[in-house]
Amino acid sequence: MNPDSDVVEVSGADKRGDLLRRTESVTQGVADIKTLAVAFERWHEDLSLMTAQSRGLNTVGEDLARIARQMIMVSINAAIEAARAGDIARGFVVVAAEVKTQAEHVQELSGDMRKILHKGELLTAATFQDIQAGGKMMMAAISGLELMVKQLRSELDP
Amino acid sequence: MISTHSLHNVELAFHKAIKANLVRETGDGCEIAAVEGAPVGKDSAHKVLLITISSFVFRLIVIFRIIDNPATRAYYLRADRTQTLDEVFAEVANLCSGALNRELSVNFPHLAMSTPNTLSDECLAFLGELRPQHIARFGITINDSVQLQATLCMCCSRPVEVAEATAATDEAVCGNGELELF
Repeated sequence: MNPDSDVVEVSGADKRGDLLRRTESVTQGVADIKTLAVAFERWHEDLSLMTAQSRGLNTVGEDLARIARQMIMVSINAAIEAARAGDIARGFVVVAAEVKTQAEHVQELSGDMRKILHKGELLTAATFQDIQAGGKMMMAAISGLELMVKQLRSELDP
Repeated sequence: MISTHSLHNVELAFHKAIKANLVRETGDGCEIAAVEGAPVGKDSAHKVLLITISSFVFRLIVIFRIIDNPATRAYYLRADRTQTLDEVFAEVANLCSGALNRELSVNFPHLAMSTPNTLSDECLAFLGELRPQHIARFGITINDSVQLQATLCMCCSRPVEVAEATAATDEAVCGNGELELF
């Protein structure tokens, strides 16, 4: 230590040792960040599951729409038969009309549901792909950083 | 966010990537025409493939739509019985998007591309949900028999400027050293 000053003089060897320790820390940090690739793989699997889920729901929506169409046909036939039967089946005409109204409502809802699912399928895939590509951008930047640290280390400790 | 001039340059780069990568043989005919409006209705014969090219300031969603018919199968599968049309076309679309990615990386050094995903045909009606600045649709005809559709969907979060591709990248994309003029 310089007796006239509080400043600690650091030798060249100490400085180099300190810098080497710091580069070791950066190298470790970079290695830790690179494990993010595992998370990206996990997200990819998750997207596949979500897409399969969405397609499954779409199939259910299509089945519902088909059942609703059949119910409408049945209710129309029931109304025709009730009309033929005359006054005795007047109450049945009302029931058939109500069944038709409800079936049309189900048909409309299943159509809306499928639209929402298709929007969801597109948004999920596009968002996931953006995250995946963003991850690759990040990995490329990290690899660049890794290379710089490697070069620095070899200069400090040839 | 993105000028008409920049959009034109992106489309130019895309056309170049299509002509170099969607054809199986050099010299195969490849006509590209702009198409208005999204396809309407569901068609189970259509296969839709989505790939995203992302930068820090924009994402470019590239969509390919092919029809699974004998002409498409004959052209892309040829005598290959080991791969499905989905697999072969995913590779072809990946190459095409990769070429576009390389072309754009001249302007944007930090650029990356996703892996392809298949989508339901009906999803194409909802591209507006991604709040794009620009959607361009193209009809592609190969050898007067194979019909495809491709869509570019540009979503920018900051102002984006895309310069026209250089001769060097032209050569890289064309692969044979010849400049391809449009």
